[in-house]
Amino acid sequence: MPELPELNPVVHGKLRLALLSLLVGVEEAEFTWLRSKTGSTDGNLGAQLLKLEEAGYVAVEKKFVERKPQSIYRITEAGRTALSEYVQALKQLLGGAI
Amino acid sequence: MTENFEPRDLAERLNLIESMIAEGRRTTKNWGWTFVLWGVAYYVAIGWAALGHPALAWPVTMSAAGVITGMVASRREHNKTSTTLGRAMAGIWISLGVSISLLMMSLTWSRHVDSFASVAIVCAMLGMANATSSIILRWKVQFACALVWWASAVAACFVSDSVCTTIFLVAIFLCQIVFGIYGMLAVSRQHKQGAAHA
Repeated sequence: MPELPELNPVVHGKLRLALLSLLVGVEEAEFTWLRSKTGSTDGNLGAQLLKLEEAGYVAVEKKFVERKPQSIYRITEAGRTALSEYVQALKQLLGGAI
Repeated sequence: MTENFEPRDLAERLNLIESMIAEGRRTTKNWGWTFVLWGVAYYVAIGWAALGHPALAWPVTMSAAGVITGMVASRREHNKTSTTLGRAMAGIWISLGVSISLLMMSLTWSRHVDSFASVAIVCAMLGMANATSSIILRWKVQFACALVWWASAVAACFVSDSVCTTIFLVAIFLCQIVFGIYGMLAVSRQHKQGAAHA
């Protein structure tokens, strides 16, 4: 019997998975846009984005626009690869379960 | 760790990925107001030019509309999200604006301007931009606008001066004012549906 794939724990968190999936569909996105799409709180969203940043899956650019702080997030190549591998593993696991 | 996952949980995650990717790609910005703004700007320029200042009316009105568009857009959008589709759309309309402005200003200042040719050129270019945008967005209503602009461009070559102006005014009303309001309503309806589904 073939060995079942492991799911990447960084990608597996529901909010982190939603964030990576959102970012893969856009070039870049602001913190408030990600918050509105996920319905998450500022604290939780910031913490999950930091985990993704530490894993090298997202890159952040912080700047001031009209004296207001703005954080722009974009998915990195490593993030794309991790999400793609996660989807493959998920499909393999689901294939085995059906 | 893998063995603990329920198939239902895994399927939910797959659905989450699909819905979030679709959500990101579906991101639409409300640009209907720009159609209305530029429609009004055309009317102002035509009215001003009819009062006897054509060399001043078009450059001043178009420049003012460009500045207002830039200012309002930067306040509304604030870089919330950027997509390839959004950049493609911006590219089409900015290029159109620059092309029409350069051409019309040069024709006016060199005194080579001809009202029939000017209307035909502007209508044809607007038809091209609307058609390109509608094909990318798969938006039939906008393609109908492109057809109206193209028909106006052809008609401008065969009719009298007053009829040519009337055709241009009607095309502006339908394809800028009415279409702009329709676009704003469509995006607002889409946002309401999105909020209801969340």
